[in-house]
Amino acid sequence: MKSIQSIRRGERLTILILIVFFLGMGVLVWKVVKESSFYMSHSDDVTLGMVYDRNNQILFDPNASTETYDENYFLDVGNVIGDDSGQMTNTLVSENIEKLQNYSLIFGATPHGKTAIYSTLDHKANQTVYNAFGSKNGTAIAYNYQTGEILVCVSKPSVNILDNYSNISELPDGSLICKAFYETTPGSTQKIATTAAALETFGYDGLMSKTYTCNGIYTTKYNQQIKCHDLNGHGTQNIVQGFENSCNPFFAQLVQDMPLDNIIQTYTRMGIAVNDTKMQKIQFDGLSSFSASTKLTDTSDFDTMWSCMGQSEALASPLQMMLWESAIANASGKVTEPYLIDHTTNVTGSTKYEAKTTYGENNIFSAEVASQIKQIMRQNGQERYSSIGYPVGVKSGTAQVQNGASENSLLVGFNDDPNLPIAFCVVIEDRVSGEISTSDIVSTMLNALNQN
Amino acid sequence: MYKNGLTYGKCTTIVLLTHIIMLLAILLRGKYDTPQDILPLAVAVIGLDLTYSIVLRFLYRQMTYTLDFVLLLLINISVMFQSCFGGVGFAAKHYVTCIVALAVCQVGFLLTRNHVWIQSKKIVLYILLGVLILSILLLTGSRSMWINIGPISIQPSEFMKPVFVLICATSIREQHEKKKILFFYVSKEMMILTGAFIVIVGLQWWCRDLGSLPTFAAAYGCALACRLCYPKAKFSKKTIIGISAIAAILVALALRFAPGYVQNRLSVDIWNQMEGDGYQQCKALIAIAEGGLFGKGPGCGSLYKVFASDTDIVFSTICEEWGFLVALLSILILMAMMLLPMINKPRSYFHTTMILGCVAVLIVQMGLNIFGSCNLIPFTGVTIPFISQGGSSMITSGFLAGMLKAGQSPVFKKPEPKKKKAKARKAVAAA
Repeated sequence: MKSIQSIRRGERLTILILIVFFLGMGVLVWKVVKESSFYMSHSDDVTLGMVYDRNNQILFDPNASTETYDENYFLDVGNVIGDDSGQMTNTLVSENIEKLQNYSLIFGATPHGKTAIYSTLDHKANQTVYNAFGSKNGTAIAYNYQTGEILVCVSKPSVNILDNYSNISELPDGSLICKAFYETTPGSTQKIATTAAALETFGYDGLMSKTYTCNGIYTTKYNQQIKCHDLNGHGTQNIVQGFENSCNPFFAQLVQDMPLDNIIQTYTRMGIAVNDTKMQKIQFDGLSSFSASTKLTDTSDFDTMWSCMGQSEALASPLQMMLWESAIANASGKVTEPYLIDHTTNVTGSTKYEAKTTYGENNIFSAEVASQIKQIMRQNGQERYSSIGYPVGVKSGTAQVQNGASENSLLVGFNDDPNLPIAFCVVIEDRVSGEISTSDIVSTMLNALNQN
Repeated sequence: MYKNGLTYGKCTTIVLLTHIIMLLAILLRGKYDTPQDILPLAVAVIGLDLTYSIVLRFLYRQMTYTLDFVLLLLINISVMFQSCFGGVGFAAKHYVTCIVALAVCQVGFLLTRNHVWIQSKKIVLYILLGVLILSILLLTGSRSMWINIGPISIQPSEFMKPVFVLICATSIREQHEKKKILFFYVSKEMMILTGAFIVIVGLQWWCRDLGSLPTFAAAYGCALACRLCYPKAKFSKKTIIGISAIAAILVALALRFAPGYVQNRLSVDIWNQMEGDGYQQCKALIAIAEGGLFGKGPGCGSLYKVFASDTDIVFSTICEEWGFLVALLSILILMAMMLLPMINKPRSYFHTTMILGCVAVLIVQMGLNIFGSCNLIPFTGVTIPFISQGGSSMITSGFLAGMLKAGQSPVFKKPEPKKKKAKARKAVAAA
């Protein structure tokens, strides 16, 4: 009897070994199914599909050459869409090579497959905005704040991928990156976040009732001087006037009146990494963007005040600044998540993936505060930026960079029109008076998008 | 009494049909200059199918024959795989080793079907193991596992596998005389077996070829598990926990003090070392992906250019040319062969242990090869039984298959003493 039991135990053990191996084979099958596209990204057999814009214009063609395309056809999207050369990272193509492969596990490599990425970009508008920069460098990014589709993304200087990097050593700094995804000094556009903190601290009526006087220079209690861009002073102002004037002494006094924790709380909810906390990166469609960071120690301190006004330690990416605008423009306090890939197709041409509109998990500020900031920004747009030609809500900024050696001009905002719901951020580097302005570029951009 | 499922005729038809379909696949999708290039392969495969079927049906009829046909099916599939790597041809050397494996399978069957006889030859098994160990120590090159005789290379450590499985299976007699040592009831024979295993581990360590070590460890582990619960029917929790703890400690120590080249393999990030230690695995995985489900076509692959494409990474080479589905089906056939003893169940404890050892050896070897080449576990240079090229491996696998078959149709007759036999003959002659 015991012998029979032992025989059965031996049989069970045999079957157990076979089952373990079978499970191992199951894991292998799962691994191959899941990772085969990754393996193929190292293969010489695979061909890549195209990237198209929202109007089916080609943005990336693996076989592109100057014989088949106009010389500057890809220039505006060179460092955003990129290519498969491996020279650039954090571009749509480099981060989505697997999605572009004419490959499926069922059929293997299919040289003439119909794999493609359909981007949300509007190539025509993008080219128009790129050209609008003229000789200036900088970046412009715009998206539909209702859906999250990125429509314009320009970064100058760019790289002409048709040149095959033959002149790579001569390319100006920043040619191989999309500056919209990298941090920059936000200048006075930071005052939007500071206004949000003030609204959450004092309430709308409380903030409206506060007035501060600007004499051109404000001296802090530590005897440090905050200078206004208008040294004659703006006189006594409320928040709407202070916001429109972008008055530094006004905001310095406002910051001084707020508890530090309140500012930190609002900033943190907005995704700003305060005081060496780890900066959260913004991830979408394989691309990665910096968000924002700053240092706040004492509301009466010179550096903290300047940080709340977008100088000193304050940094933010243009993409992040644009995303904040969606929460304001929608008057919801929730960020509309961006996306650059509308849909993808597989080798047979059938849709494999389709983007959906999503919103940030948490409110960056309350819907009420969003609505109140929207009102303030709209008023600023009406009063100061009617030249744009659209019902915009905006905040401008001038950011001192390279230790004050040059100044960048910024404009963030939104178009308050349900037929053209665009949030944007434009940065012109090293701009001097008389040159093309950020509002000119915004106007050009909205016109181009409106026409398309 | 014995289950075969299908008749000889049906088995032959299935095997022939499968091989004909594969030959047609070569004809339609293969890479060759003229269709005549396929002829030698077709003649060899169909010829072997028919010859072996006729031998089994008319000259060597047996109670169980399903395993023979599964083996024939697998062997000729293997011949076709190996003949097509990098272009359709005929792998004559592999074909010959396959025929030898079929013959060795029958030898293994005949030698191990009578458990009383094989147990009486236990001492011979130990001597054989000793001879093999000595041959490795004395006849191989500097700390190597290979004996080179002209154009032929022999790996004696492969032959140690069936011998060791048989030693494990024959260590049954003294189980009733266990004595408690420390926490475990052990027999003298079990200690000798453990000693033999330690010697094998030492030998592999010394030869810097630890690839086969898990194979021996699996056979030993299965034997240990069987012996510890025999004749007592149940495992005690203490025993299981004790053994598991000791095994875990030993594995941890082995990993901690493993030589540098082993440590490297355990921690290699293949995609960051595509041109270094991860070269073969990366190429193997890329080939699997390139092949897709249905493959590029026989002979149309490029992995054959990579070292050991027909042995250590053969699974990927098959995937590339024949497709992932065919490669998986081949492995399923191998698994089916090992499952057959569960249909015709072993009738003695000796055969149960022997089958368990054979399955453990074959499965671990398959696992090491397939999972290693696909980067699920560290990569070791072992072969897939019957699929990979290699004479020693093929002969060993054939013998193990014979042992599997023996477990299904055993003989329980006690060997007659020689004197009695002689007397009986004389009496018959006198009558």
